[in-house]
Formats: sequence, C-alpha cells, structure tokens
Amino acid sequence: CNFRAPQEVVLSLGVGARCGYASDSGSLRSLGTRSGPNPSTKGPPRPAGVPLLRRCELPVPQHRTPVQAWVESLRGYEETCLGLADLHPDVFAVPPRLDILHEVAIWQKNFKRISYAKTKTRAEVRGGGRKPWKQKGSGRARHGSIRSPIWRGGGIAHGPRGPTSYYYMLPMKVRVLGLKVALTIKLMQDDLHVVDSLELPTSNPRYLLDLIRHRCWGDSVLLVDVDEDMPQNIVSAVSNLKTINLVPAVGLNVHSMLKHQTLVLTLNTVAFLEKKLLWHDKRYTALYPFRLPYSDFP
Amino acid sequence: MAVAVVASALRVGLRGCGRLGRPACGLRWQSQTQEPSAYPGIVESTEEYKFVERLIPPASIPEPPRHQSYPTPSGWQPPKDPPPNLPYFIRRSRMHNVPVYTELTHGNRQMTLIRKVEGDIWVASVEVAEALVKGWLPPQVRDQIQTQQHHQEGEPGMR
Repeated sequence: CNFRAPQEVVLSLGVGARCGYASDSGSLRSLGTRSGPNPSTKGPPRPAGVPLLRRCELPVPQHRTPVQAWVESLRGYEETCLGLADLHPDVFAVPPRLDILHEVAIWQKNFKRISYAKTKTRAEVRGGGRKPWKQKGSGRARHGSIRSPIWRGGGIAHGPRGPTSYYYMLPMKVRVLGLKVALTIKLMQDDLHVVDSLELPTSNPRYLLDLIRHRCWGDSVLLVDVDEDMPQNIVSAVSNLKTINLVPAVGLNVHSMLKHQTLVLTLNTVAFLEKKLLWHDKRYTALYPFRLPYSDFP
Repeated sequence: MAVAVVASALRVGLRGCGRLGRPACGLRWQSQTQEPSAYPGIVESTEEYKFVERLIPPASIPEPPRHQSYPTPSGWQPPKDPPPNLPYFIRRSRMHNVPVYTELTHGNRQMTLIRKVEGDIWVASVEVAEALVKGWLPPQVRDQIQTQQHHQEGEPGMR
C-alpha cells in the first residue's frame, strides 16, 4: 500500500476553501515519540511557565508518551494558549489507517440505505397470459406472451426487485479504530482544538463566526461537548448556523469529523472519549450484547 | 317433575345464604371462626441475588497477578520492566501474550507472523533473522528463512 505521511494527505470533504493555513505560533505538535534511543523520556520539553491542564487518566504504555495540544477558550478572541493538555497516544496517535477510515465512512453512508426501487417482471405486468398468435403459419416471430421483456410495455428482466436493504455492521473494534484514526488525523493536521468549556460571553452568532474567522479554523466547525446539557449561549448561537454544528460526545462519528474542517473538543469530552475508546483495547469478546449487564460494565 | 327438581335446588341454595352474601341467621362462615392464619403472604427478598451476581462475568480483562517466580508453570513471562532500549517495541496482545502466530497459505506455505511491532520494523526483522540463525538449524531450514515486513500505512512520526 502507498505510504504517505499524514501531513501530505488532506482529508476534507467540507464546504468551501480554507481561509489560509495558519499554525499557532507556539504549537507543539509532539507525536508521542515511541521507543527512540531513550524511551524513558517524559515527553517533549514543555516551555517554562506553561501549565499542564490535563493529564491522561488512563495509564499510558511505557514505550509511548502522550501527545499534547493547546487548551484554548471561547470566551475571548485572544485566549488561545491557556495551557497544554496531554492526550493519550493510543487514541490520538495511532497509525493513520486510511483504509479503515474509508471502510467506516462508506459503512456509515450505506448501512442506513434502503432502496425502494422496484420494477415489475413479466409475471407482474398486467396481461400477457395468452399466446398472441399461433406458433407457426402467421409469418411473424414466435412469442408466448405480450409482456415478455423483449416486448414494448413488457416486464423488466433483471430490474431492481423490491425494497433492498444495504445494512451490514462492521466489527465494533473496526468502528472504534476508525474513530481513533479520525481523531489522530485531525490532530496531526492541526484541525483539532481543545477548549476548556463551550461557554460564550454572548449568544450572538456573529461573535462565534468572528472568533472562528480570527483563529482561522476554517469554514465548518464541529463542536463536541459531553452531555446534552450545553451552555445556553452556544446552543442559541449555533442553532441557526449551517456550517457550525454542536453535538454531544456520543454523536461523534467519522463522517462528521471528515465533513467539518475543524473539530473542537472540550476537556471533558477528551476524557470521555479516551475512556470509552480505550476500554475496547482491554475487553473480552462479548459473550452476550453489552447492553445486558456485566459485572464491571458499565 | 322439572318443577320439583328446580324447587329442591332452590331450597338447597337458600339454606346456605339467608341474606345476600351473609350466612343465615346465627351462622358464620368457617373462615370467620378460625384464627387469622400465620401465612405472611408474599415476601420479596433480594438476599439471594448475590448468588446470581457472582455468576455474571466481567467485561474487561484483568491484569495478570504477580507470581513468585517466572516463568510460570504454563511458560508465561511478563514483559520486561522497564522496556529494553531498542528502536522497536512489540506490544503484548490483550490477553498479555506474545503476539507470535502461525499462518498457513496455499495449503503448504507455513509462516510465522509477529504482529504489533511498533517503531523500526526493519531493524526488528533483521534482529529476528539473526536470532533464528544463532542456534543450530538444519541447513535446509536455514536456507529457507525469509522475512517480510508489512507496513500498515506507516506511523505518525516516521518520516
């Protein structure tokens, strides 16, 4: 398979063009270097005076270090570098499996599809039970019914038959890996922003649009919070905007992440996603569906 | 004849109930003369649920317990702590086993697969080949050793 470093692959299905590539002047994009000559390093050197606002709750493997992202705030235009947040490398620095992203995106598109197209076969078309003329002697070609597929007005031989369902499920771990790969690619392409919370000073959508334009986040932004209760300001600001969308963390999916140019997560969302996505690395295979009770889950 | 039968049936029925729902004068139902029985009715108890709870299986794989000596009787050994200073790292599987598997293709091609190699797999494959060659192997096997690297879409950080 072709190996292309993630920096060269631009994955965006979003609307419009980006407003110009602008990297944060102080952004440290450390890739969670694993097992270099000295695997016991704590991580990339942090500049003095920059607080670490979040550590990984779940244990990080010994040979890997957390990746980091700047924590920003939506309360002011210039509040961009409040501190650093550690992100778990097994969620935000996995190998960029584009084939898995493709599989999951296509699955998301197709598994809900039911095509309702239906045509009538020669048996269902009205009429055509009688032999139109006798077999021999009339001089015309021999036919058995006036509704056979070669006749005008006849049935369709191999047409779509009834509602067809294109439902299929990818394995749970493939879907989980798709989410991890999408988060990794968003982070590595500077399209992921971590925010302390989604509180705005006003509920004016103009403020949000100006903030996004000022920070060059792109044309479409996906804001993710943990619960369904979100601050009223952001809910009303986003409600009439088409390209800026607000979803709870359970609604995060690969198609939305690829469709929007920027992804904005809160710190609580990052913790939630890490916990949920890393659990699948350490679980038994399901004896029965996980919606039924297990002794230590949920 | 039919009238006599009906009359006798009516007389039998009327002997039991004088008024509506109550026995005839001076009589009481048998259940009223006895003491209230000691039957407590239906009691719901959740004390026995603990026998069900201990049968429900866990969903996540536990960490292996610490043993006195390694390797354990089954031959298992924990990963080295801290990990050795190499340019690659081979993770354990989710059941804490070494990720070495056998593969058979075309009915006769036997291969050994080492999965979950992170870092520089070229160096890893060279070292594996060297380690195989170090011991004694029959010459026909030694000549047949081939290694192949399967890069899966590269890794972030590798240029």
